[in-house]
Amino acid sequence: MKKYYVVITFLIMVVLVSSACAKATPKPAADKLEEILARGTIIVSTDPAYPPQSELVENATRATNTKCAADQHTPSELSGFDIEVAVAIAEKLGVEACFVTPEWTMITGGSWANRWDISVGSMTITPERMEKLYFTQPYYTTPAALFIHKDNTTYTQYSDLEGKKIGACSGCTYDAYLAGTLNIPGETIVQVINNPQFVGYETDINAIQDLALGDGLRLDAVMTALPTGQGAINDGLPLRQLGDPVYFEYLAAAIDKSLTPDPIPLVKKVTEVIKQLHSEGVLLKLSEKYCGLDLTTAAGGFDVDALNQFP
Amino acid sequence: MTVETIIEKPPEKPDADQSMGDALLSHQKRNRLFQNVKIGSVWAALILILAVGLLQLRFDPGYIGEHYGFVMQGVLTTLGLSVASILIASVLALLGALGRLSQNSIAQGIAGFYVSLVRGTPLLIQIYIIYLGLPQIGTQLQSMGFTDLGKSLTLTAIQSGILALSLNYGAYMTEIFRAGIQSISHGQREAALSLGLSSWQTMRRIILPQAIKIIIPDIGNQFIAMQKDSALVSVMGVWEITYRANRFGRKDSKFMEMFILAAALYWILTIVSSWLEERLEKRMAHAYER
Repeated sequence: MKKYYVVITFLIMVVLVSSACAKATPKPAADKLEEILARGTIIVSTDPAYPPQSELVENATRATNTKCAADQHTPSELSGFDIEVAVAIAEKLGVEACFVTPEWTMITGGSWANRWDISVGSMTITPERMEKLYFTQPYYTTPAALFIHKDNTTYTQYSDLEGKKIGACSGCTYDAYLAGTLNIPGETIVQVINNPQFVGYETDINAIQDLALGDGLRLDAVMTALPTGQGAINDGLPLRQLGDPVYFEYLAAAIDKSLTPDPIPLVKKVTEVIKQLHSEGVLLKLSEKYCGLDLTTAAGGFDVDALNQFP
Repeated sequence: MTVETIIEKPPEKPDADQSMGDALLSHQKRNRLFQNVKIGSVWAALILILAVGLLQLRFDPGYIGEHYGFVMQGVLTTLGLSVASILIASVLALLGALGRLSQNSIAQGIAGFYVSLVRGTPLLIQIYIIYLGLPQIGTQLQSMGFTDLGKSLTLTAIQSGILALSLNYGAYMTEIFRAGIQSISHGQREAALSLGLSSWQTMRRIILPQAIKIIIPDIGNQFIAMQKDSALVSVMGVWEITYRANRFGRKDSKFMEMFILAAALYWILTIVSSWLEERLEKRMAHAYER
């Protein structure tokens, strides 16, 4: 019986070790950028829950002749503004873009464990996220807007929503805004609604669905990105926008501070690449293609050095 | 002159017992058929009511017809995850059961702790801990100099999913295996031991082959449950049925259509699995038929 335990312990160890050794590690690189260039792929995280930034492609076939690992996805399997920006960045770096699709909270939380290199996911630069992530030059801005049900006639300005039930994604910037704690580097925030009742959702779209059920039924309003709300209206949901955008967010690529080896040269390089894409007009074209308006020019003028990210 | 010997067969006298038995059997058969038809029509009615109810939602059945292929592609991933996990879980469960039943206090302690801890915590949280927490322990190990061991703790989404499902179901199935093994009469063990088999041989050659017949239906049951629980793996971005349905539905705001499609796919999967399990169970029962 004793021998038996030894055998079992040994078997368990073999299973653990063999699953671990499946990925052969190449020669150690001096920094993350070097590692990416040597690998020939940049692994990008995106959550395809946010059309038109990132969505799944039906009837897509995986690119043949790809360096992407089996559990990564090739650009042909996804589409959207973020995806095209990621591919443009990869092209400038001279590598192939491969995508992984973890939940949004796993991306924003940092501690990526080197599973992916960069997030090109329309992430707003916030002080909280800056504790865990480095941000590159923003590639566009997004206006935050309030949407109400089409049937409603009593709300005409932001302040009418005082004390009302407002839905938004939990843990995102709209959540922070409604709680009065939002602080966006490079932007002055004016609080326009008193004591809103925040209702949290996994993503904005679920909040929009609930608002569409009826005016005041589950929600009185939804706070979300202007393009997202506009997209829902275009899909035929009975909503309308209340007033002008409330504030603008700067959206950038993000890189986990805890990546090994050193990610700082990668952050600097991607910032340089995004500045190029701004000046060449590539981003403006993409913005007009996906959002129908210019959301990029303000982002090009953002002073990323003012964030003081590097020690 | 020939003597004709006419061997007259006695006329087939109907055996009263026999015919009564036949009549009874055919009556039973007819009754059973009738019963089945009745049950079938209740099902049909319920499905009809469900379908009519669904059509009252803001629901577009045509959308499912156009886009079911994308979600269907996740079936293989769901099945693959479930099959891999049920296999590993069975191994874990066997070890766990042997531990629970062993005289060794360390083995008993480990197995008992495993079952209690894993059964007492939600699967979703186990998935998060394995996917997000293990790499952090790995980082610590790496900084302590155990580079390879540390790196090996960063599992991919699919590996994490299989590990979490296996650990979780292994704990539930430990109890199933233990009950199965204990259900074999003690006399079997005593007989084997008295014939000079070692206790390991007794377990392997006498107890387990009999216990497995009792355990198999329950494994089938767990497999059905696992197919549905594998949906939780979608939080790590594995493109199985739920992930595909959820993310695709967002595109055109057609959630209900995609979720109903996903639900139908799971339902079909479990119907097929329980049919297979039933057949397997019947096959296993042959051994006890006379």
